[in-house]
Amino acid sequence: CFLHWCLELALSRSTPEGLTFYHMDLYESKGRLEIFPEEPAGRGDGALGETSEESTGPGEDFRSSDQSAYDLEKEVDELTKLYGLDEDKEIDQELLGVAEQELPGKDSQDESQPLHSARAYDELHNHASSKEELRSDDRQDEQNIQPNSEEEAADIYCATCKIPIRAFDKLFGDHKDHEVTQLANAVESAKEEIQKNMCKLEEQVTEMENFASHLEEIFITVEENFGRQEQNFEMHYNEVMQTLTQRYEEKVEGLGEEKKQKLEALYGQLVSCGENLDTCKELMETIQELCKDKEKADFIKAAIPVVDRLGEFLKKDMDLELSTLPDFEDRVIDFSDVQQLMDSINTIAAPSAPVINPQAPNSATGTSVRVCWGLFSDDTVEFYQLYYKQVSDDTPSEEQAAPSPPIIKRKESRSCENGALVCWESGNMNPVDSYTVELSKLTNGENGDIITDSLINPNLDPAPALQPSVSLCLHYLMQFLGAETNKLQPFCSLVGTYFYLNEDTAHPLLSVLEDGLTIACSEIENLECDLSFRDNGFTRCIAILGSMIPFQGKHYWEVEVDENMEYRVGVAFENTHRHGYLGANSSSWCMRHIVTPARHKYEFLHSGTTPDIRITIPPKRIGILLDYDNWKLSFFNLDIAQHLYTFNSHFQHYVHPCFALEKPGLLRIRNGIAMPTSITLL
Amino acid sequence: MLRAALLRPPRFRLLRHRGPPAPASPPPAPEDYILLIHHILGLNKSTVSRTAEIMALKQISSNKCFEGFQKVFEHDSIELKCKMRFGIYLPPKAEIGKCPVLYWLSGLTCTEQNFITKSGFHQAAAEHGLIVVAPDTSPRGCNIEGEDESWDFGTGAGFYVDATEEPWKTNYRMYSYIKDELPKLIKANFPADSERMSIFGHSMGGHGALILALKNPGKYKSVSAFAPICNPVQCPWGKKAFGGYLGSDLTKWEAYDATHLVKSYPDSHLDILIDQGKDDQFLSAGQLLPDNFIAACTERKIPVVFRLQQGYDHSYFFIATFVNDHIRHHAKYLNA
Repeated sequence: CFLHWCLELALSRSTPEGLTFYHMDLYESKGRLEIFPEEPAGRGDGALGETSEESTGPGEDFRSSDQSAYDLEKEVDELTKLYGLDEDKEIDQELLGVAEQELPGKDSQDESQPLHSARAYDELHNHASSKEELRSDDRQDEQNIQPNSEEEAADIYCATCKIPIRAFDKLFGDHKDHEVTQLANAVESAKEEIQKNMCKLEEQVTEMENFASHLEEIFITVEENFGRQEQNFEMHYNEVMQTLTQRYEEKVEGLGEEKKQKLEALYGQLVSCGENLDTCKELMETIQELCKDKEKADFIKAAIPVVDRLGEFLKKDMDLELSTLPDFEDRVIDFSDVQQLMDSINTIAAPSAPVINPQAPNSATGTSVRVCWGLFSDDTVEFYQLYYKQVSDDTPSEEQAAPSPPIIKRKESRSCENGALVCWESGNMNPVDSYTVELSKLTNGENGDIITDSLINPNLDPAPALQPSVSLCLHYLMQFLGAETNKLQPFCSLVGTYFYLNEDTAHPLLSVLEDGLTIACSEIENLECDLSFRDNGFTRCIAILGSMIPFQGKHYWEVEVDENMEYRVGVAFENTHRHGYLGANSSSWCMRHIVTPARHKYEFLHSGTTPDIRITIPPKRIGILLDYDNWKLSFFNLDIAQHLYTFNSHFQHYVHPCFALEKPGLLRIRNGIAMPTSITLL
Repeated sequence: MLRAALLRPPRFRLLRHRGPPAPASPPPAPEDYILLIHHILGLNKSTVSRTAEIMALKQISSNKCFEGFQKVFEHDSIELKCKMRFGIYLPPKAEIGKCPVLYWLSGLTCTEQNFITKSGFHQAAAEHGLIVVAPDTSPRGCNIEGEDESWDFGTGAGFYVDATEEPWKTNYRMYSYIKDELPKLIKANFPADSERMSIFGHSMGGHGALILALKNPGKYKSVSAFAPICNPVQCPWGKKAFGGYLGSDLTKWEAYDATHLVKSYPDSHLDILIDQGKDDQFLSAGQLLPDNFIAACTERKIPVVFRLQQGYDHSYFFIATFVNDHIRHHAKYLNA
């Protein structure tokens, strides 16, 4: 009911004039409102905004009850009639060239000019009766609408009555003086209306969706608030109860004490009473004994002490007064401060003072300082005010020269979207305490906002966590008071993967051009012994290795070749055989292209084997995608975004890109670029 | 939960056919009624229309598979003038929005069942959100004399052409069925994005896929094939089929031959992937002739990657091995 109400609220809020909206029930209700109220066919102005959507419960499939199907059919019937869409269909069919009877309206119009009114009346009557049929029949029977004598279908639209009529009727029937338009136009405008209203409906749906999500948030907030209040009450209740219990216990204890005292006193009295009683009794017995017929001399001897005793005893003060009263004093529990507690339920404690964190090193510059403090989560704080004052104005006792900037070893640095390896030399005689690496986003070559900065111990050089597309700057600060030097030097980009070519591994006939990324193979001369082989270089395959790619994830680079180049491109392990050919062993994977007299031949080599693959368009720009995470090495023809081949190989170690030429020519490498979108889809 | 309930898409009820339509003139096309209903009941473009069975489609089976549904439907085909069945896989994504459609054409002797039961394509289709439609390979039950005499001609061997010879020309119009009638039917009854479709197939179906793509530039976003009959006018199968369906005019044959069609294909925006088993008996029997096709494509600069797969034959085991690669190939273009 609550939800229903809310929906009504939403709907009523935005119901524009002239449109009626119906409730979108969450659960199927048998008493669903009809799409259209039963109205005469005159209501054809397209004021439609209703949805007849019926959301069934979760997990249910199609409703196949005949009753509901019949309902929907009936509704469709009505709509069809309302829009004269069956007539419209006939017009469409005519347009499509389907052989249909000529629109009777037109025919009869041509012929009917001289027709006398008797015939007109007849036809009108037939038309009216056919309309009757329309209203009550099933959709199927629409086909049989033809009235008795001839085909008579409406072909124009009477705007006054808002029904489709035949042209004939316009001239000779009730609609003589009415305004008419072409049926097609009327349909068009009706359709436009629907379209417009459909848009409104869409907006409606969006609004309701927003409202629903808002409701959800409110739900959650209500829950949270409830939780907090509940907690609050519980706490206070506990406090109050505790205090009361304490008081009660105190009083009861006091009461107990009092009772004990009284009882003791009374008991004491009882005891002494008893004693006295005993003495009395004893005396009496003695006297009685005494008075029994005894010798006069004995009697006197015995009687005198007894008389003394008696006299003593009688002198004794019998305290026959109650020492204590049976009544207890009144005790009242003091509720005064409990009342206070009760009143304090809704008070909010003043927030605790924040705890200022000790200053982190490197958190100050000459003109700014970073202050951090802690906040108690129970507190509700509107704002803080921070004040500062200068404490002292000391100058450092000894001047120290600012350290010189580090020398970055560019060649040995490597980067990719997920990480960078930065090597530098200190360049300082004195030890530097620390380095700070700042990352900033490069915009148009200018240094933009600083994104993160991190402290680097000079003894280590691991890369901080990086984000792609930022440029790494080295920004170092000194630890000394007051003095500071900033020198920002962007030196490597984290877009794409960058590697350099390791000339130590190059075959003597392979040279790296000045740009560092183009390789060239010079004319293969006769004898190998003339060539000076490098220790770590290839000896047979005219190849070169790139630097290792030691980062997880995907790495992408491109190669540009001429159609007639014979080359091998791919990846290899560090220890791939320098005497072997790329792809001929299990430590290298490559794509190889050679040109035979018949055709271009492509091989995808690993461990000396290749699948049999034909490629009809020789690639000129080849994209190479190395995916460590999914263990794939893929090759693409970039000009047509065509996937050529993928090696699925679990790379046990990090690999180096490798390149080889089999005959004189050039091969251009491009790296440090982002993967084109056409490839990311694979 | 509230939100989910409110956002539940509206569902259709079944509209049962209430009796055969009587008139002599052809009845209004079922799709028109569907459009009317959609329009009136206020569906916007992003709302899914549940599979509404109207008078044309009858569901034969439905099985849940990888959180989507593999269904088989039967309908009265206008082109083929008989009842036709097709399999359709609706991925889980189809519950939320429109999906692109991938058509699969099967080979000789197959029905709509072979691909959906043997190829194991469902996981990849579900993952990439593709609707996969697998029609039958020829009209059935037409009682044409001679239709069941051979397994490579007639029933189960429609060759995806529009026959011009008697007694085939009335019913054997598989080309038009696949090109026009089936997409229209799919669009009207399923949450299909009619702008994005691709086609692939096996053997005779591979031939069908290639010719449909080559004869309708721009209609299919991508095409691929398993062991296709690339040059039917030169191979025994093609000669028998074309002779029977198209008569003796060779120009009519060339209109359905991929190797010939490539020669006059207008642009090269087609990326073709072909897998061929190296141990395929029909390859060695000269029925498939991929080399001719590759040569023509190289000449015409049509991008093809042709993979000769060591040890594989012509069977569905071969198809099952590489179907994921093909689906990924199509997904690249359909989901772009």
